[in-house]
Order: sequence, then C-alpha cells, then structure tokens
Amino acid sequence: MMSRQMSEAESTVKVAEWQQTYYSSDSGIQSGATTVRDDEGSECSGKKYTTVVENHSDAEAQYTLTRAQRVRAAMFPETLPEGEAVLTTQTDQNQQTNVQRLAEPSQLLKNAIVHLINYQDDADLATRAVPELTKLLADDDQVVVNKAAMIVNQLTRKEASRRVLMQSPQMVAAVVRAMQSTGDMETARCTASVLHSLSHQREGLLAIFKSGGIPALVRMLSSPMESVLFYAITTLHNLLLHQEGAKMAVRLADGLQRMVPLLKKSNPKFLAITTDCLQLLSYGNQESKLIILANGGPESLVYIMRNYNYEKLLWTTSRVLKVLSVCPSNKPAIVDAGGMQALGQHLTGTSQRLTQNCLWTLRNLSDAATKQEGLDGLLQVLVTQLGSDDVNMLTCATGILSNLTCNNARNKALVTQCGGVEALIHAVLRAGEKEDVAEPAVCALRHLTSRHPDAELAQNAVRIHYGIPAIVKLLGQPHYWPVVKATVGLIRNLALCPTNQAPLREAGAIPRLVNLLLKAHQDTQRHASSAQQTYQDGVRMEEIVEGCTGALHILARDPMNRGEIASMQTIPLFVQLLYSYVENVKRVAAGVLCELALDKQSAEIIDAEGASAPLMELLHSTNEGIATYAAAVLFRISEDKSSDYRKRVSVELTHSLFKHDPAAWEMAHNSIPLDPGYIADDLDGAYPPYGYPDIPLDALPLEADMHEPYIPEMAYDPRQAYPEPL
Amino acid sequence: MNREEAPGKSPEEMYIQQKVRVLLMLKKMGSNLTPNEEAFLRNYAGVVHSQMSQLPQHPIDQGAEDVVMAFSRSETEDRRQ
Repeated sequence: MMSRQMSEAESTVKVAEWQQTYYSSDSGIQSGATTVRDDEGSECSGKKYTTVVENHSDAEAQYTLTRAQRVRAAMFPETLPEGEAVLTTQTDQNQQTNVQRLAEPSQLLKNAIVHLINYQDDADLATRAVPELTKLLADDDQVVVNKAAMIVNQLTRKEASRRVLMQSPQMVAAVVRAMQSTGDMETARCTASVLHSLSHQREGLLAIFKSGGIPALVRMLSSPMESVLFYAITTLHNLLLHQEGAKMAVRLADGLQRMVPLLKKSNPKFLAITTDCLQLLSYGNQESKLIILANGGPESLVYIMRNYNYEKLLWTTSRVLKVLSVCPSNKPAIVDAGGMQALGQHLTGTSQRLTQNCLWTLRNLSDAATKQEGLDGLLQVLVTQLGSDDVNMLTCATGILSNLTCNNARNKALVTQCGGVEALIHAVLRAGEKEDVAEPAVCALRHLTSRHPDAELAQNAVRIHYGIPAIVKLLGQPHYWPVVKATVGLIRNLALCPTNQAPLREAGAIPRLVNLLLKAHQDTQRHASSAQQTYQDGVRMEEIVEGCTGALHILARDPMNRGEIASMQTIPLFVQLLYSYVENVKRVAAGVLCELALDKQSAEIIDAEGASAPLMELLHSTNEGIATYAAAVLFRISEDKSSDYRKRVSVELTHSLFKHDPAAWEMAHNSIPLDPGYIADDLDGAYPPYGYPDIPLDALPLEADMHEPYIPEMAYDPRQAYPEPL
Repeated sequence: MNREEAPGKSPEEMYIQQKVRVLLMLKKMGSNLTPNEEAFLRNYAGVVHSQMSQLPQHPIDQGAEDVVMAFSRSETEDRRQ
C-alpha cells in the first residue's frame, strides 16, 4: 500500500521517486536472485557470459553500465535520456539474457503499480470533490448546476472516481433531482449520462434505485433529446435486468405507458432495447400485457416485424409478441394487426432463435386466426417445415396447421394441394410417442379429410402415401386418449372414401375400434351411478364411445366390414347406446344399426335385442339425422312384420317427421296422386288412432298370411324418370 | 286419389310419403339402401319428385365438427441469448 503522503505528480515523476525508494534497499535483484550472475567476469555453470560489443562507439559506454543500470533501463525505458538505447549483453541470438527475460514481466508489473497509483489518486480526488459537487448540483443557478453536472459526468469516465460517486447516496440523489428538474438540455444530457455510467455496476444500480431514479428516468422517456432518451432507456434496461424491485418500480411509474409510444422511433438499436424492456416487464404479468394492448402495442410490434431487418430487434420483438400471445385479449389484436403474416415472414431465415420464437408465437395465436385471410404463404412454409427433424419445429408446424385448417375450407384445400397430406403422414411417422406432434398432426389430417371440396383428394392421398397402417397403429397401446380421439375421427373420414374401406379393414381397424369402444363404454358405465364424468388425459370416455361408434358407422357402409362388425357381437352394445343421454352417441348408434340392418340376419338380431322401443322414441328426436336413422332401422326390421306393426311405425313417423315442418306436412297432404296399381293391404279392423294402447311390438304375432308385402312389387317402368341421386 | 274426399291421405299413402322421405334423407346422408328400397323409390317416382324439394338443404350428418386446440395456456421462457 503506497503512502498517502505522496505528492500528486505526473506519473513519470512519481515513478522516479518510487524507483529511488526501491533501489535504496537490497531488493534481491542484486543479491537474492541466484540465477543472476555478476557480469564483471566470473563464469558460472550452464551459462557463459562474455561481454558483447554492439558497435565500436558503444564499447566504452557498456563498460560503465552495471547490471542494475541495465535492469533499470529495461524496466523504465522512459527514464533513459533521449536517443539512448537499451544495451544488451546478449551473445547468442538464440538465447535471451536474464535481464531480457525479466524485461516484459517487469514492465507489466510496473504498469499495474502505476495504474494503482493513479486509481488511488482519482479516488482521492473524487472523495474530496463529492460533497462540494453534491451541493452545487442543487444550486439555484442553472449555470452552476450545469457545470457541476459536467464535472460529475467527467468523473464517471474513470473507474475509481465512478466508484466513489456511486458510494455516495447523496450524490446520486442530487444527480437524479437535477436531471428531472432541469430545463437545460445539456444538464439533462450530462445527468442522464451519469446515471447511465453508474448503471453498469450493481452498486450503481442499487444507488439509482434507492435514490428514486426510476420514476425520474421514466419521465425522461418523454424527452425530445435523442441522447437523453437513449441514456434513459438503456439505464432502465440495466435496472430491469439486474436490479431487484426495478420491474415493479417501472410499472408503478407508468413506464409501460411511456415505452410503448417509443416503438414508433426508427433507430433499430434503440428499438431493440425498448422491446427488451417491454418483454422484461410483461413476462408473467397480465396487467402489463393489458397496458401494452391499450397503448397500441400489437400494431407497433407487428409493424417492426414487417419492416426491419436487424436480427436482434426482430428477435426481441418476437419475444414480446410471444409473451403477449398467451393473453386472450392481446391475441385477437395481434392477429387483426396482421401478426400471423408478419411472423410468417421470418420462418426461413438464418436466425434459428428468431424462427423458433416466431413459430411458438404463431402456435399460440393460431386458434384465434382460423378466419384470417392471406395466409397462403405461411401455410406453404409450414408444410415444408413438416420435413424437419427438430421436434420443436415439428410441434409448432403441426399445431399451427391443425388450427388453421379448422373449419376453413380454403386453408384445407390449399394445404391438401401443396402436399400437406403426405408431409403430415411423415410427421406422424416421425412423431413416435411424442404426443405434442402426433395429436395436432392427426387432427390436421382429420380436418383435411372432411368438409371441403378437396376432402376426397385428401382421403385418397392418405392411402396413396401409405398412411393407413400408421394411422391405425395409433389406436394401439399405450393409449394417449387425445391422440386416440383424433385418430378415430380421422378413420371415420377415411372410410368415407370407398377405396379406403378394404385397406382399413386389412390394417385391423375394426377390432381395434370395437375393443376401444367396449373399454370406453365399460368405463362410462362404471361411473354412471356417481353422475361424474370421467376424464382421462383430458378426454371424456363418452367422446371415445361416440368417436368409435361413428367410425364403425361409416366403415359399415362396406358389406364385408359390416359383416365383420356384426360378427364381433356389437349389436347388443349399439342397441344399448340408443339409450345414451348424449345425443351424438344416439345418432351414431342409430346410424351404425341402420347400416347393419341392411343385412337380414343383423336386422333380426337388432329386433331380437329389443331395439324397436328406443327407436320409436328416437323417431321424435329433433335431430333429423337421428329420426331418419331410427325410421330406417324400423322399416328394415319391420319388413317381415305385420301390417299393424307397420301402421304403428307409420303413425309414429307421421307425428314426428313432419312435426317441425308444417309446409312439408301440407305438401305431403296435397301431393300428386300415387301411382295406379296400388293394391290395398288387408286391414284388420279399424285403423288404430294415435295414442296407441300399450302393446309391445315384439309381442305382435307374425302370421304367415300377413307376409305379403305391404306394397306390391311393380315392374320398373323406364318411362318413369328416376330422380337424380342426392 | 283422395283429393275430392276428406282432407288428408289414407294411412297407406302417409306411409309411402314418410318412407320415401326417410329413404331420400338416407341417400342424402350417404347411407346405402336395400334393393327393395331402391325399387320402392323407383315405384313411387312421383312422390319422390315432390318430396325432393322438401328435403332440408343443409348437410345432415357430417360427423364431428373441427375443433381448435388451445396452445396458449402457459408461458414458456426462452434462454436469453
């Protein structure tokens, strides 16, 4: 530790003084270092020193120099008289002398000590000046304040004095006060600069925080001076990054309301810092997100994504959008501002972090963007990204595609046409057990295979690209129910294409569906008494029952499939499902029975299972699909029944099929006469009125002489135009 | 046939009307018909013709609707790079 009594002098002078004190004692260079050899002539082992004459004119000079002098010259070349060179005793060019070897390390050591001397001086200076400067910063005279601010700013340029400043709470508070109360631009700039300098150390940040610097800095965000703005935002940024409590303080000082308008500035680096501040403030803070929304944040952020190329700015902005994209209020605003399109611009660049952020944000936004137009480019890029091996990219691409194809015929058609089906199948294959990829991929395929003009194209494409076995395999164990539910829906859609029926059967879809149905149904029955709905992985077993039955319904359109379904003893279960409290379950159960009843044998089993009673009830359903299927099953199982039975069916139908359709009722009454040749059936007694007495249908006797058909078969008359198929 | 008589059709006629409507609805929903049912429709082509305009125009049974997946349930923080 150097003496404090040393005079403040130029560094060289100080060094010279120090030198003197150093050399006055035996430091060891003379005697302590055993490797140093006296150069007056004595030889030593391992080293041979001879005097070297560099040139003839120096020959005398070198004899007068001692080793000590050569050391001093090597360490302090600045003390040599001008023109004099450092002499050397080096004899062998390949071997340095000891002095030469010591020269550089000693120079370094010397420099360090010099810096320490200066540092200490700066610290001393600052310590003495701080109280005075603090006072001057609060002076009434603005010129004085300005000068004081400039000096303080100068002091922050050096580390030692800067440390002293930040250790003085009074000084920092004075700077803060001066900054926010001054009307002078230069003072504002200097004081803001001071705080900015202080904000690079933790101690400085704490000092600013404790001195009320944050509200003052937030106020400076309204300054018309660009430099002040820059200092203020950067200082706030450092506080938000490293100072505990700063986020809350910035929010309380209405920092967000001041920052969002700054997004309209045009300096990319400034914008990068500002957006990063917004991200720090709004992450996990719903109120902050709403403030950003209220101040037009989404529009400004989307504008930046559209119009700038600076990677860091795009990245920080995408991070803010990502944070806002989980807010239900911000989401539609971002979408309406063109956020999907703007984010979609940055999926094919070289910045991996930017691409990934944009993808996560798009995924979050996607459920609010199903009606957005102008997404063709985005959809195409996403289909391309389905080829990626990066699981994050796959998760996002499948998720976004799943949502954007939801109830949007245009998007469905586009994705189908640009190879989306094949790409999604490959994604399913690569997903393996990763449900975050498999579920949205299957959902997307399900969307593509129904409810749009190119649905058939998609249904065929799945088969053509070998998707059917992979898809059926997803029904296997272990069951992740969301994937199972999506897969069952997809299989139902695939079966709409007749060419897919055989491949689905061959892939084993039917037994898998039947087993799943049984398992799910048993589960619902187990919990029926507790009146609790059971969820597994967030899926109700009633949904699985509905989905499986619905898929079997469509599969049953194929005669061979129909036979396989019936052979698995499924009819009793389907009849039981007619009693379900879930309307959709009733619909699909009636639907599958309707198809199965095409086969006489199955029709008899359906009848034997007592299906007539619930079907009669279903004739009254407000759901036209249910009523139609129920009627069709009843017609099919009543073909061999008595006329009484058929009349009862007719009566029930009369009061149900037309009850919501008075015009049709009227039309039916007044329609053109029936074809001649109709032979009335033998009627047993008076036609029973509505309000039919309780006679169970299955107790009606089937008599042989009543088996003649209700309507006689007529020869087909080609002159009768048969209506176009529906 | 019964126009000049009391309003309404005979039970047989009602049955035919209803059955034609049911079968037409089935076809509209994409279901199969038996050969007898196809023949029935051919026999009563006139009724079919009148019923066709009475069928609902909207699709009846297209299976489950598309449903969006909600991904924005939670925030994820990324590494500051």
